[in-house]
Amino acid sequence: MRRLPVALLSGVALLGALATPATALEAGVVSRARFPNGLTLLVRENPTAPVVAVSLAVRMGTRWETRETAGISNFLQLMVVRGTTSRSGTQIVEDADRLGGKIDAIGDQDWSQIEATALSRHRVALLELVADVALRPSIPDGLVEPIKQFLLRQIRNRAEQPYPVAFDTLMHSLFGLHPYAWHPLGSRESVERIDRPALLAHYRRHYVPSGMVLAVSGRVRAPAVIAEVERLFGAMPAGQSPPASKVSPPAAAVSREVREVPGAQAQILIGALAPPLTHPDYPAVKVLSTVLGGGMAGRFFTELRDKQALAYSTGALYPSLAGTGYVVTQLGTAPENLRRAEPSLKKELDRIREEPPSAEELRVAKAYLLGHFAMDRRTNARQAWYLATFELAGVGHEFLDRYVAAVRDVTPADVQRVARTYLGTVRESVARPPAR
Amino acid sequence: MTKHLLSLLALVAWLGGCAAQGALKPSSADEAGLPLPFRQVLPNGMRLIIQDHRAADVVAVYLFVGVGGRDEGPNELGFSHFQEHMLFKGTDTQGPGFVDREVEGVGGRSNANTSLDYTFYYLVVPTQEMPNAIRILADMAFRSKFDPAELSREGDVILEEGRIEIDNPRTALVRGLYGLVFRDHPYGRPILGTRETLKAATRENVLAYYKRHYVPENVTLVVVGPVAPGSVNAAVRETFGRSPATGHRRAPVPGARPLSGGIRREVERPEQQAYLALGWLAPRADDSDGFAVDMLASILGGTESSRLARKLRDQDRLVSSITMSYAALVGGGIVSVRAELEAGDLDKVERLILEEIARVQESGVTEEERQIAVTHFEAEHAFDTETAEGLAYAYGIAETTWSLEEELRYVERIRQVTREQIRDVARRYLSRTDYARLAFVPRSKERR
Repeated sequence: MRRLPVALLSGVALLGALATPATALEAGVVSRARFPNGLTLLVRENPTAPVVAVSLAVRMGTRWETRETAGISNFLQLMVVRGTTSRSGTQIVEDADRLGGKIDAIGDQDWSQIEATALSRHRVALLELVADVALRPSIPDGLVEPIKQFLLRQIRNRAEQPYPVAFDTLMHSLFGLHPYAWHPLGSRESVERIDRPALLAHYRRHYVPSGMVLAVSGRVRAPAVIAEVERLFGAMPAGQSPPASKVSPPAAAVSREVREVPGAQAQILIGALAPPLTHPDYPAVKVLSTVLGGGMAGRFFTELRDKQALAYSTGALYPSLAGTGYVVTQLGTAPENLRRAEPSLKKELDRIREEPPSAEELRVAKAYLLGHFAMDRRTNARQAWYLATFELAGVGHEFLDRYVAAVRDVTPADVQRVARTYLGTVRESVARPPAR
Repeated sequence: MTKHLLSLLALVAWLGGCAAQGALKPSSADEAGLPLPFRQVLPNGMRLIIQDHRAADVVAVYLFVGVGGRDEGPNELGFSHFQEHMLFKGTDTQGPGFVDREVEGVGGRSNANTSLDYTFYYLVVPTQEMPNAIRILADMAFRSKFDPAELSREGDVILEEGRIEIDNPRTALVRGLYGLVFRDHPYGRPILGTRETLKAATRENVLAYYKRHYVPENVTLVVVGPVAPGSVNAAVRETFGRSPATGHRRAPVPGARPLSGGIRREVERPEQQAYLALGWLAPRADDSDGFAVDMLASILGGTESSRLARKLRDQDRLVSSITMSYAALVGGGIVSVRAELEAGDLDKVERLILEEIARVQESGVTEEERQIAVTHFEAEHAFDTETAEGLAYAYGIAETTWSLEEELRYVERIRQVTREQIRDVARRYLSRTDYARLAFVPRSKERR
């Protein structure tokens, strides 16, 4: 099958990154094992396709960073897949290619992961590869500088695009000194300072079995996977995972920042702090963000794009975070529309605080949220990711079942209440092309 | 196999008068443990493909229409894509947004895309909504309204979409490269159209374009999920089946002009990151050379451990990413290399890419490389079978641009490609002089 590059297709898609991240559980038995050294293993047997996916989540990410070390978790993840004591970086990607899969690693806010896939007939070799990368990374000296340069270019590129600039600006004003203020890439200043000893120390501090969850999903048998993981990870010494940052975000306040970024579109982002995923309001805020910016039936899409033609991309984002999180609403528009678009977006935020959604709006939003969530969990890679991430967050993958039930119970009054609670004081960030 | 063949025959008999297209052969899907798909041609000429897929309680319904950038006249640039947007804007009985309301209201999702050879629409919904999804797509395909006010508003939305494309260097690079490789050819035109053609679009000419292309003979419906062919067929006959045949025959696409002597273009952009794309004309979708070109592109730049990635990214560290890919279109193919790099390294990287190509042309590839490439395509197909939409998309493209049967045998055909064939297609298609080169460089004042 030879496909056109995605770039050559033109669709009516929403800005992908803004689709409300989904979450719920489909049928399928999950086996759980906890080894004496503290490592947790989750296995979902899914015979659908002859493939297997692995996620190894580590309690490491921006939440454990400071402004000085910002970006070190992601930097380390890029290094662990670039060499072990017995494999070069090239051998790692070659081995993954031989298995019919991929291996990659990233650092995020609440977690860092090594993610890998393969044809299921290579499941043992895949687990061996993941174990090698996780347990015996060499952090090759000669690669620290090139990877640093690569990261610095990514940071530079991010500062040249309207949406990332507007987003990063908003995060800084919402979170202040709290680690969610910075992107997992970190800053130019912090990344420039990071060296091999710092990476090794970060690795030793965070890669401890009690702070790690391994999830496997695919055409596998749980008992065989458990035995294999015990063989590969069982000898890892126990240790204590370090605590996350205790810094709090600043109190809510009104602010508006404008950045000039060359480009054809202007981006308007309005956001506020929002509850963590463990908070009782979490399901209602999920529904709220969906009523506003979930899909093409959401208020933003119908009002701002369909009726007023003020936007091509618009949406709302409420990621599931372990700490105090955020709701961000977004609208991308032509610079000449800014003056009309900004009040229109704000008007929608006022409206949801003043009048609750109709029963039909709520029904559609819930269906969208839960449907999207169920669909997102069909590939083995996503299954493994969900299992590992929610287990690592301390709520267990069973949380997802409870979440689905809680979303079903959300009422129109709940949505209005959380809108009033969290969207009363908002911060704004605009990125627009320089005036010509 | 026998069982599936029997049920296929039973279905053919039951349909009465439908021209079924014969039994489909064992496939990569079959290896994944799936039954074979059914393929039928309805009396009005519409094609229907049904795949039983029981991974989740979800059905993917994909409508592929044989219309795209290549079918547009000079005054119709962007019309295929414009239609795609307008089909979500209401029918003779339903108002704008009805698709989103109905689909999202049951927890499903919908979207659409326009390409050069085809346009497709998809709905992914809970299984019990399958008949509704088919009805919605049939209404969109044959009963869209093209309300003048909606038409004018949607034109503005598409201009916004154009802005996003301009802002995104990766998208702009691919579009630009097609423009060079397929210059003076329909594949080189902008899918989004131009400001002029969009502004000049009237209800009359957009509607005429719709009536011309959205006809039963020009559409394929693919339904994948835990469904019984009989119930799918009934839903299709009640909806799509009611539209009469029109005698439509799609105009053939002309061949592309060779890139004799090559063509080079450099574009200044606001980013400091530079981008390089090289492009060659390659076999069209129905050319059996395509399998070897797939293998070649995979070995040179289709995987993480490909030759170009190892040499230019890992060893020389001149690029942060590099990929080679082959897209097979009905009227001609394109092999492209895309790299992200610093502007000062553009010429060096281009030279090294050509050297790697020369190496394959002279010495061929190793048996291990050939095997890794086979595994790569085998895995790509295996991962497609994870979700209903992965399969529906693959089947729809195959049916519209080459052949479903070939798609089903794809991995088998890939396994048969020899090292000599890979070397030969490298010699035949990857000229070291006749290629297109497009570079995005920082504006002079922003260069470091």
